[in-house]
Amino acid sequence: MNVGECYLGWSTKDEVREKGASGGLVTSVLAAALEKGLVEKVLVLKKISEYDAEPIITDSVDEVLESAGSLHAVPVGLSKKLGLQLTRLGKKIATVGKPCDVRGMYEMALRDQINIDNTYIVGLNCGGTMPPILTRKMLREVYEIDPEEVVEEEIAKGELIFKTKDGKEIAKKIDELEEMGYGRRENCRYCFVKIPTNADLACGNWGVPKAKQGQATFVEVCSEKGIELLENAVNAGYIELESASEKGINARKKVEQAMIDLASKWREELLPSIPDEERLSFYIKELEDCIGCGACKTVCPVCACGDDSKCTTMISELDNHKISLYHLIRFLHIMDSCVACGMCTDVCPAEIKMSQLQARFSLPFQEEKEYVAGMTLEKPPFFEVR
Amino acid sequence: MMAEEWEPKIVLFACNWCSYGGSDAAGVARFQQPPTTRIIRVMCSGRIDPAFVLEAFLEGADGVCVTGCHIGDCHYINGNEKTKVRYSFLERVVKELGIEPERLRLEWISASEGEKFANFVKQVTEDIKKLGPSPLKPEGVQ
Repeated sequence: MNVGECYLGWSTKDEVREKGASGGLVTSVLAAALEKGLVEKVLVLKKISEYDAEPIITDSVDEVLESAGSLHAVPVGLSKKLGLQLTRLGKKIATVGKPCDVRGMYEMALRDQINIDNTYIVGLNCGGTMPPILTRKMLREVYEIDPEEVVEEEIAKGELIFKTKDGKEIAKKIDELEEMGYGRRENCRYCFVKIPTNADLACGNWGVPKAKQGQATFVEVCSEKGIELLENAVNAGYIELESASEKGINARKKVEQAMIDLASKWREELLPSIPDEERLSFYIKELEDCIGCGACKTVCPVCACGDDSKCTTMISELDNHKISLYHLIRFLHIMDSCVACGMCTDVCPAEIKMSQLQARFSLPFQEEKEYVAGMTLEKPPFFEVR
Repeated sequence: MMAEEWEPKIVLFACNWCSYGGSDAAGVARFQQPPTTRIIRVMCSGRIDPAFVLEAFLEGADGVCVTGCHIGDCHYINGNEKTKVRYSFLERVVKELGIEPERLRLEWISASEGEKFANFVKQVTEDIKKLGPSPLKPEGVQ
């Protein structure tokens, strides 16, 4: 096995294959790593409902196997959870992650928050996640079904499919849903990193031939640790692999390119440029609802200053500023490293679109510097000083 | 009585070894300059946190100048190179906020360049006078 090779794989266990979104490969790889002692802990999402899940760090194989299945309506940031010092203490952890999670992990590693050498990352291809509350509203109003009746959801061929308890299956075009204001989170729509090639393995259903759709996972080996993970799972009898065909590899590239093209379209629509003279009043207006709770900083994976950060210690109740210094410092501070995971927008109690505002600073900046945050462990080239 | 002409308030950060010396040299050699600047001396331009500059704007500065030793002359090896990196961040934030780029300036001035210092202050004052008060000035601040 070599880095860069692509495979089709599936779980050997029937119940995992049934439950997993596409063959249960990811779940099996994690379970095998835990059982054979490759890692001591595994970070997975524990499902609470179709719209809620909790990231847990577990050492029980059963709990890992239980986590099989995809959850598109649960936008949980996993990178911050990983920063619980476990990896720095030398514990080996395997984790799953969407591209933004993986990028968050790399940015945290750059700030010495996690030890990436002790972290095995199974990346998942991601076309976007959906906000849970809006999804429930969409189910009631557009799909006309009770959200609690849903047992399975799936995204295939540009359609969002929901299956209910009584076996009904309703599909609607994602494009149309998004035009109506539903669908993916805004920051997912203009996200350009769809395949996490920076993870150890990049898994997904893009590139799986029609006959095996839903039964197998397409996996790209991206690092030496990825080889370890896959070989361990094969040797433990958890998964079966076969080489991916040239056709599959090309099909996967095509899907990725189509998603990226769509992202550029959405970026123009969601982040329209504002004339210079109106910008200041735009930002003042957007941020005027801020109650100063600091939640956006708490969830931010790239923020590593801790409690004594400049953005919180340099501000005071007595300030009579037109824009809060807290936001300006944060805009500046994570401009080079924002991975656009959108957690700040999700948690904001005042419903300020923080991630979308940050993107107005960080996207042009990262483009200008020809740098994409969170893809490598190297120091960004623009930080080099003689 | 004629209304007094509006004078901008400019916060100028100067490093101890070069640009602060430059301002001294300007005074000793009697190069005239408008009294618009409030000079803040720091040991090295590398000490100037972008947050200081943003705070200066929010507190009502009409312009902020960051000055330091010429590249290669830093008394702390490469402090001004770090300033350059930070300044590229600052520039982007100020531009994105819709504040006129003339309000934020970076200039390398050595201790012997008194004339350059005086001319720089003159130039910046003139530019900012044309722009008028900063849009970020809080209410009640002159």
